[in-house]
Parts: sequence; C-alpha cells; structure tokens
Amino acid sequence: MKLHRKSVLSYFRGTGARAPDREGILLKKGTRNPSYQRRWFILRGNLLYYLEHQGDRTPLGLILLDSCRVEPRDSTTEPYAFVILASEEGGRSYKLAAEKKVDFDGWLQALVWAGWSQLWELLQPLQEQYQRVCQEAGVEPQAPPQEDRFLGLPCSPAPSGFQELHQRFGEEIQALARSRATRRQVDLMEFG
Amino acid sequence: MRYNEKELQALSRQPAEKAAEIGMRVPKKGSVVKRRLVKLVVNFLFYFRTDEAEPIGALLLEHCRIAKEEPSGFSISFIEDPDRKYYFECSSEEQCQEWIDALRRASYEFMRRSLIFYRNEIQKMTGKDPLEQYGISEEARFQLNTHQA
Repeated sequence: MKLHRKSVLSYFRGTGARAPDREGILLKKGTRNPSYQRRWFILRGNLLYYLEHQGDRTPLGLILLDSCRVEPRDSTTEPYAFVILASEEGGRSYKLAAEKKVDFDGWLQALVWAGWSQLWELLQPLQEQYQRVCQEAGVEPQAPPQEDRFLGLPCSPAPSGFQELHQRFGEEIQALARSRATRRQVDLMEFG
Repeated sequence: MRYNEKELQALSRQPAEKAAEIGMRVPKKGSVVKRRLVKLVVNFLFYFRTDEAEPIGALLLEHCRIAKEEPSGFSISFIEDPDRKYYFECSSEEQCQEWIDALRRASYEFMRRSLIFYRNEIQKMTGKDPLEQYGISEEARFQLNTHQA
C-alpha cells in the first residue's frame, strides 16, 4: 500500500502556527537490538512520530495511534516503562520507557487520549451545546474557522468583493447546516 | 520514514465514516480516471481496486485543500504541493458535496479548531468552561493560543 508520504511529513512539520501536542525524549527498545535507544518523540494529533534527534527534518518512524492501545508494562531495567500495542494479530509492539515519573504520567495521559475517535466524541456534545446556547441566546450559530482561511491560503477563485465573500460564506454555512441536519437530525436552522 | 504496514492495513479495515465507488485520477502524468472504492477512516482516505481487500493507497487528510471541481467532482491537494491534485468524480452533486463535507470534517486539526471554537464561544456566552466537566480544561492541545516558539 502506498502511503502518501508528503502529507504525513507535512503534518509532522506543522504549519508553524501550532506546537506539537507533546514532545520529548523516550527510550525505545530496538526491534533487533534489545537495548534502549534514546529517541525524540513528537505527538501531533493522532500520529506519533519518532526522530533520531530533536530537530531532525525527517522522522525515523511513525506510529498510527488509532490502530494501537497504550499500556504500562513491567520491565526489569526501566521503572517507567510502557508499551504501544498494535490491536491486530501479529502486529508489532513498541516498548518504550520514560526517564522520569512526570514524563511517564504525561505521555501516558497524552497517548491514551490522542485517538481520533476520542476527539470526535468530545466534539459532538460540545457542538450540540453550542447550538443550544446560541438558540437560547437568540444568536445565529457560526461555523468554525475553515482550513483555507486559517492557513492563509487564497480561496479559488478569489472573491471580487465583500458582497461575493459574504455570499460564499453564507453558502458554506448553509452547506454545513444541511449536512449537520441530515446527520444529526437537529432542527434545521435558518441562516441569513 | 518507517511505519508499520499492518497498522495502516488495520486502520483501513476499521468501520468507515464513508465509503463509495468513485472515479479517481491520481496526479501522475498520463493518468486516467479509474473506478476505485474510496473509504474514509478517521483522517485517512484509503482507495482500493474495486475487487481487492487491501488498499492501493492512503492519503492523510491534514494540511490539505478539498475543492469542488466541475462537474460533480472534487479534488484533494496538499499545501506543500498545491498543483498536484487527486481528482474524484461523483455520480451526483449531492454525493459530491457530502464527500467534501465529510473529508473536511475528518481532519483532526479541523476537529480541534472546531472544539476550541465551540469551547471559547460557550465560555463567552455562559461564563462556564464546557471542558471542565471532563477534567481536561488545562490540556495544552485545547488551548486557544499554542504557538511554536
């Protein structure tokens, strides 16, 4: 299977606007070599990257957290050891260890909560609450910021004036409302 | 950059948010539209030959631009390479718009921005932080301003 590398690398490098969710040194047990290697780990979203050195432009590897579970483990040599286990039969496991208790606690917390589904489950009730609060306050709900504007990319074609921009924004909100209505069966809201 | 093929395959077998047979054209010279089974799982888009169980490829839907392409199609391109587009041809305008919306919503960063937005708005309007009940209000990844140094 061909994984589109550029998108994965681009996400790793970030846009410069957001720091990674967590980064730091973790000890990683080698696959062939049983000794621990110090690696720089970067968590961004639901992806965990590891680098040979902090500041490397290209990661050594990538771990897809949605296919794994994270657990503490016992180790004869490392007191703060944990494992990232592939949920599939025959999948590999990543034996890791933190150097300090505070790192162990921090990483476990971050990794266990890093999955895409967890974020999705957090987002749904918040979205519903926002719609309710808007209705109660008698204000029109707004759409969250769109990708293009956030990254400063021009929309194509560029709007010729405020009128067209206003129109397009209105259309985007309507499209968002339509898709939300079909999925969530909430009351269809009127947008100006 | 190493990754575990099995992890990617396992992901492609998870329940899909959306799946359909769609015409697809990759950004390669001379490439033509081919019928593919396209499957959206978390923030990955997998595409399969219609009669195969293993995907041919996977796209991470972050830092990408999803644009409407006439007629009844859309494209995915990545910020670092905006001219190389993956084209998709849908069977109707409605299917097309559904896919565009689903792909945008699938981005982890889009979800995060939405969460931060809703959190901030709810706090402004009610005076209460909605994340407090989950005990995660201090988490860095949900803060409004986390800029790189």
